[in-house]
Formats: sequence, structure tokens, C-alpha cells
Amino acid sequence: MDSIINDFTINIATANGTGSQSANLILLQSLFDMGVPVSGKNLFPSNISGLPTWYIVRLSDKGYQAPGDRTHIQVLVNPATWEDDLAALEPGSVVIWNSDTKKKTVDREDIVSYPVPMSSLARKINPKIAKLVTNIIYVGVLAELLGIDQACLESAVAKQFKGKATAVELNITALGLGRDYCKEHLTKSDPYAVEPREVTTPQFFIEGNEAAALGSHYGGVQLLAWYPITPSSSLAEGIISYIPRLRTDDEGNANVAVIQAEDELAAAGMVLGAGWAGGRGMTATSGPGISLMQEFIGLAYFAEIPSVFWDVVRVGPSTGLPTRTQQSDISMLYEGSHGDTQHIVLIPGTVEECFEYGWRAFDYAEQFQTPVFGMSDLDLGMNRWACSGFTYPDQPMDRGKVVREQEVFDAFENFGRYLDVDGDGIPYRTLPGSGMDPILYRGTGHNPQGVYSEKPEDYYNLMQRLRTKIDNARDQLPAPVLREEEECEVGIIFLGSMENSIQEIDDLLEETGLKVSQCRVRALPFHSEVEDFIRRHEVSIVLEINRDGQLYGILRRELPNDLVTKVHSVAYSDGMPPRARIYAERIQATLKEMSQ
Amino acid sequence: MSDRPARAVKLNVLNEPKESYTGGPSSLCPGCGHDQISNVIITAAWENGIEPHRIAKMSGIGCSSKTPAYYLGQSHGFNTVHGRMPSVTTGAYAINKELLYLGVSGDGDSASIGIGQLIHAIRRNMDMVYIVENNGVYGLTKGQYSATADVGSKKKKGPANETQPIDLCALAINLGCTFVARSFSGSKKQLTSILKAAMSHKGFALIDVISPCVTFNNNDESMRSYGYVKENEITLHMADYIPHFNPMVEIEVPEGHYRDITLHDGSTIRLETISDEHDPSNAVAALTALHEAEAGKKHVTGLLYFDATKPSLAEDLGLVDQALVDVSDEALRPDRASLDALNAEFLA
Repeated sequence: MDSIINDFTINIATANGTGSQSANLILLQSLFDMGVPVSGKNLFPSNISGLPTWYIVRLSDKGYQAPGDRTHIQVLVNPATWEDDLAALEPGSVVIWNSDTKKKTVDREDIVSYPVPMSSLARKINPKIAKLVTNIIYVGVLAELLGIDQACLESAVAKQFKGKATAVELNITALGLGRDYCKEHLTKSDPYAVEPREVTTPQFFIEGNEAAALGSHYGGVQLLAWYPITPSSSLAEGIISYIPRLRTDDEGNANVAVIQAEDELAAAGMVLGAGWAGGRGMTATSGPGISLMQEFIGLAYFAEIPSVFWDVVRVGPSTGLPTRTQQSDISMLYEGSHGDTQHIVLIPGTVEECFEYGWRAFDYAEQFQTPVFGMSDLDLGMNRWACSGFTYPDQPMDRGKVVREQEVFDAFENFGRYLDVDGDGIPYRTLPGSGMDPILYRGTGHNPQGVYSEKPEDYYNLMQRLRTKIDNARDQLPAPVLREEEECEVGIIFLGSMENSIQEIDDLLEETGLKVSQCRVRALPFHSEVEDFIRRHEVSIVLEINRDGQLYGILRRELPNDLVTKVHSVAYSDGMPPRARIYAERIQATLKEMSQ
Repeated sequence: MSDRPARAVKLNVLNEPKESYTGGPSSLCPGCGHDQISNVIITAAWENGIEPHRIAKMSGIGCSSKTPAYYLGQSHGFNTVHGRMPSVTTGAYAINKELLYLGVSGDGDSASIGIGQLIHAIRRNMDMVYIVENNGVYGLTKGQYSATADVGSKKKKGPANETQPIDLCALAINLGCTFVARSFSGSKKQLTSILKAAMSHKGFALIDVISPCVTFNNNDESMRSYGYVKENEITLHMADYIPHFNPMVEIEVPEGHYRDITLHDGSTIRLETISDEHDPSNAVAALTALHEAEAGKKHVTGLLYFDATKPSLAEDLGLVDQALVDVSDEALRPDRASLDALNAEFLA
């Protein structure tokens, strides 16, 4: 039997609240430390304890990070999903199962079966915490079967239980029990194996939310106002956790405030208050929170208040699938609130970009005096991704057109809060407490001096200026990432966390003889390079993780007429992180439909 | 010398004339109680000697929330969205705790759409003055009952209100609000003293001001008309404010009992007892006074409850002494070495 090295998917079925997450992260980290390109996806329920959870570990020397088409090795610990998980396996798959599970067995002849009495082994260590230890036993079994390096395992355990000596010792003992059982009782009869790989660039694992949290600190966030919601809470909690280290003086006083608001409306209000007062305020939320914040988003746009909103998108509409991923808030962010609006949306596709847009968001918000959104998603935000390090901001903070000194103020021939002095649509502002140009900010119509006005020309001019202001932003925002083929036949336009599946999609298409170019959009409004990309290609397909093709809709509306017919949509979402084959097949089908 | 004005102009402790504290002309209905409150705000800020640019005028939506345009024209302000003024104020306060936040709101804002924000601002002991210009009706939408309309009260048009009102003072006392007062827009002296005291308070100061709506709710059957309130007001005490910067100001010392309450900035509010002595540190007594007044279809006014012991939001936030808006960009952004150290640790 030929070995299959570093190219397979492990699916671990457990119940949440049983400590399986620690065990799975130890597995992931130890593979990573061996230099094996690996990714982990946590498919968890909206629940604290007892509901089914799957953890998908994909090893891929090609660097593919999507969940993959099928499971090669199934770990069965959860009786609740036992039959379904078993039935879903293709012939030849491997099952490692807890043989102590009551009334459950593995009776398929066409698969490789490794029964392990995980509960009894766990009870040997400590009957009181047998349930927690059960999970680490299967990691030991996998380590022995696949050939995972013991030193890497032990350092992963130490990392997971940092500073907790008892837990480290207990877990290493449990790993040993798993390994020993495997050695003594099981005969390897599957082809899967792990081999270490040389690491050229040292990397570490980090979640997108933690990266965005760190980036926010390097953007000098001064107020975090938030309301807990999955999958964004770890972004806010990440900010909080770094305050003692990064933002606190020797006396223990911080230069960033954190307020857990009573709801998302209040969180948004606080962010606006901070921006109005001259500070850098932000919130982190998900789609339902953005829905609640709509009114304030309109106020921030109309009264021109710098403000930063992170949306870690989950599956909608409504409460939707709170612990699953999607790219379905694009329209809501871009055109948030009633009336004519248009907002800047930054769309990271990597953890490095989560960090970068974490600080840049404040610069854009203050430069353009407008709400700025960071659009991440559950997949990018809550899963761990390889990162080779974060880059320090390459420019000082841009605080925008704020008049802070009286003599500067006096030099203005004519000052008005909403007067377009420079012709770029961006007016100057003074801050409360300065005594300069004191005005009553308002969400009502106003003239260039900020005074209430219902005059047709005042309203018309104001709305035109706001459009100019945001329109001028497009080429100052992050440009798309382009990977082009010489042929320029088919271009794929995509965004955000699809970055982690696109190379596999590209390769699958190439296997069928189709060479595609890639254009990853990183901000809205669209950079002019997106239009150039479409112009260069015969056909472009907008690929996104939602039902309606939201990005496609925006693009279609904004493109010149002659380009509209060149663009097509492939939008698909079932709550799962994007599996490459599904999207590749849909792209093929769309192209086929067009040629008919 | 020739610049000196021809007539003598009264100046406050900052040598500022009262004109430095006025605003634009009001567009409210002539006789509106809210305009009287605006005048009290102008007087209180002027007499208290607060620099106009150190005040932030905050409001929501409604007739009351339009009034910041009519006072303190040298102060920045923010006319926000309906019922959400407390959250905007809280965010601004986190960035600049050196300003005096003067919020003006209505009963629609405070008792209905924004009641949650009011409650949580009280809960945080957010450092601000929060005036409710309370008339029992929605004015801008032409006279629907609000959630503070009294049972049995009848506005100009339509049937009497039968829905139980929300008493914002009772609510605030139950929430542990540190300064709770009720007044009447027609009681200029009492309201001025209470507002000055609220400006000297560190923490959340709620002043619920009965402010008749002359257009929709000033008829005889209304329990919030000028006539009704004048006849049915139970005044807990006369109130005098003695500012910290001029303790020698002349105050008539009453013959009966009086109680001095020292405020956070060293100023004093002197409460002169009229009948039974009201102890503003006793929440139960304050609630009793409110309930008894309600049962008798009366309005009780005065400083109902006061507590100087609770930390305000600023103390809870654990911030540097400097207002965050004044912290330099260099101090806000952690240095390069800190990121190098983080990267190295992640890679270890």
C-alpha cells in the first residue's frame, strides 16, 4: 500500500463543552510545528455544552486551507452524531472510535476500523475528569498512527496549558496512554502518514479576531464600546486582554477606555460620541448588531463623524446560523442606514490584513470623517491561520483635517464645519472643548456652517459633496490583489476569507484546462483597478459566500454599461467554510451556460 | 478706554457677560415651558462661571432636543438621534472627561424610546446633567400621549390617559441615581438652584422638569398644565445654591430648619424646610414622597435624593489623568519594540 503523506483530512466529532477544543488545538499545533501545512476549522454549535461539534484538520503540502472534499480519517467520540458521521464516509476511510460508547459500534466492512476504549483509558488517570481526558487520548492514538513527533506534541501541550504544570503533565500522560494502546493493540492498516517539512519562513498560528484586536491597538484605539455577540466577542476581548501590556502606564492607568454597552445601539452611539469628541472609537459586532446600529451609521455618515465598526460576519438572515460563516453583510455595510449613503468597507482576507486594517481603519475614518467598516467573517475571525508576523504601521497616524490651534483657525478666510475648502469633499472640523467654531452637530439637513437648513440647494450640495468625498476615497483604499494569467480569458473576482480556498479552486479549474486570473477585492468602494481587471478579461466571475451575489450586485450597478455584460455571479452558501470543489464546479457550470 | 460699553454690564466670575451664554432665537411655540428652562440653563451656566466652551450640549430628538440651539451658542453640541443621547454622551465623556455634559431630553426620549439608555447611563453613574423637559405629550408629532402622562389627565384633544405613567424620578432613585430632582419650568428660582447644584455634582444628575406644552397639553383637564401644576405642586423645600468660588454670596437664612449639602466642587445647596423635613439621603423617604404625591394627584418638587459617595464612571474606567483627547499620537500607538516582542513571542 502506497503511503499518503501530508494530504488528507481528519474529522473529529465530539460534543462541545467536553474540552475537545483543547485536544484539537494541540493536534493542530503539533502538526504545524512539524512544518506540515495544516488548517483547522471548528464547526461548533450555538450552545455551551452538549451539542455536536466537528473539528476538521486538513493536511496539505500544497497549502490548501479549505475543508476539503471528504473525510479521510474520522474520529468518533460523540454518540449523538455517530450513525450520520459513519454513514457519510467513503469506502476506504479510517475510523478511530471510542469503543466504550454505549450501544455504539462500527460495523462497516469497507472501512479501516480502530476501536479504542478511550473512556476506560481516561478513567485510569482520573475518573473525575475522564470526559475531558478522553479527547486527549484520541490525539495520542492519532499521533502514533500517523507518526506525529513527540517533542512537537509536548510543546503544543505546553503552549495550550501555558503555566499550568498539572494540566500539562496530565495531558502528556494521557497522550502516552493513547500511544501505548495503539502500539499494543492496533495494527496499522491505512495509508495515511505525516512527515515533517522544512520550514523556510517561520510562522505562527493566530485567529483573525486577535490580529484585528492587536491592529486596533496599533491604531491607537481610545474607546472600545461593544456588546457581546458571536463571532466577534473574541475581537473585543482580544483588545481588552492586551490593554495591560500595550496601553497601560506604570501607575496602572490606561489610555483606552472599554465600555460594555447595554446593546448594539448604545455601543454605536458611544463610538459616535468618541469620534465627535475627537477620539478613536470602535465597536466589534456581527450582522445582527450592524442591523441594530443602522440609525447611528446614517448619523455618522451625514454628520461626518469618524467611527470604526468591525463586522465579523456570521450566517443570516435574522439569528441565522450564529456559529457558521458567510459573506452576507456586504450590501448592508456598503449602503447602511436609510437614505442615500455609501460607506468605506475594508475587507481583510488574511490575518496580516486583519492586523493592518485594524489600525488603518482609524486613519481612513478620520481622514474621510465617516464611518469605516472592517468586514471579517467567522472563518477568518475565529479559526487559526498561519502568520509570519505583523508589520508595524508604515506611517504616522492620520488624524485628518482637525483644526487644533486658534491661529490656524484664524487663518481661514471662511470657516464652516461642512464647507468644502479644498475641493476634495472633506471639510475641516474643530473639537468640542476647543472653543473654535462651536456648532450643534445634527442629523438634520444643514448648510455648510452646520446650521439647520431645508433649502433645496443646501441639501442637494451636501449630498453631492458626500458622494464626491467617498468616491475620492476609492483609489486611496487598499488596491485589489491581482494574480493574472497571460491569456486573460476568465477572471475571478472574490473577497475576504475566500482567499483561503481560491488557490485550490484555481487548481481544480486548471485541471480541466481552464486558466483563471484572480482579483481579490480588499475594499469598497471598488478600486479603479477592479474595473481595469474586468476590462482586460473576456469574462469575469464574482465569487462570494452568500446566496444573492451581493458584491456582484454592487459591481453591476457601478460598472460602465459596456462592462456589465462581461461580469457574472457565482454565489453559494450552505453555512460551511467554502469547499473548493463546490465553487469550482459552479464556475464551470456558469461558463458553460454562457457559451450555450 | 473708548471700547468700554456705555452701559454697565453685569459680568460673572470669569468677567463674561450673560450674552456669552445665550443662543439663537427659539422656534418653539410662544410660552413653551422649554424656553423657560433654556433661560434657566443660560442663567445657571453664567452665574456658575463655567467657561462656555467647556460645556457640551447633548440632546436626542423632539421639541426639547431642539433647544440646545437656543442656549450656550459658544458651546459645541450634538443633537443626536431619538432616545440615544446618553450613549453618545458616554462615548464623548470617555474621550474628554474634562467637559461638562449637559443633556436635554424629553419624555418621549427618556421614558419611551431611550429609557434603556437612560437607565444604563444612571447605572454607570455617568458624569452628566440630564434634564428631562417633561410635558406628557409628543409635541413635534402633534400631541400624542407620552409614557409620563398621568392617569386621568386629559390633553387638548382625545380621551383621558388611562395608562400607568413612568415616574422617572422614582425609577432613577431605584436605580441608585446619585442626584434626583423634580422641578417645574414655572419655578425659576428653585430650578436655577437645582440646576447649579447638578452642575457641581460628580455623577449622574437627573432633573425631571415639568414643562407644560402650551399647544397640546395646557388645558384645564391636563395634569401638566401651568394652572394645574401651580395649584398642585408640593414643594419639599426652598433651595439656594452657594457657589464654591464665592461663599460670601448673600443667602437669606431661614428661621426654621435648613440643611446644607456639600457638592463635589465645594459648592453647597441649602435646602430650606417648609413643612416636614425631607432628608435627601433617604431613598425610602424620597420614594414615599413621590408615591404620596401621585396618589393625591400632586407633583412633588425639590431635591429628592442625593448621594455623594458613589464613584462616577470616570473612576470606573481606570484611565490616565489626562483627557484621552489630549493624549499624543505617539503615546496612543504602542512602539515598534512592543510589536517586535509580540512577533517574537508568537514565533517562539
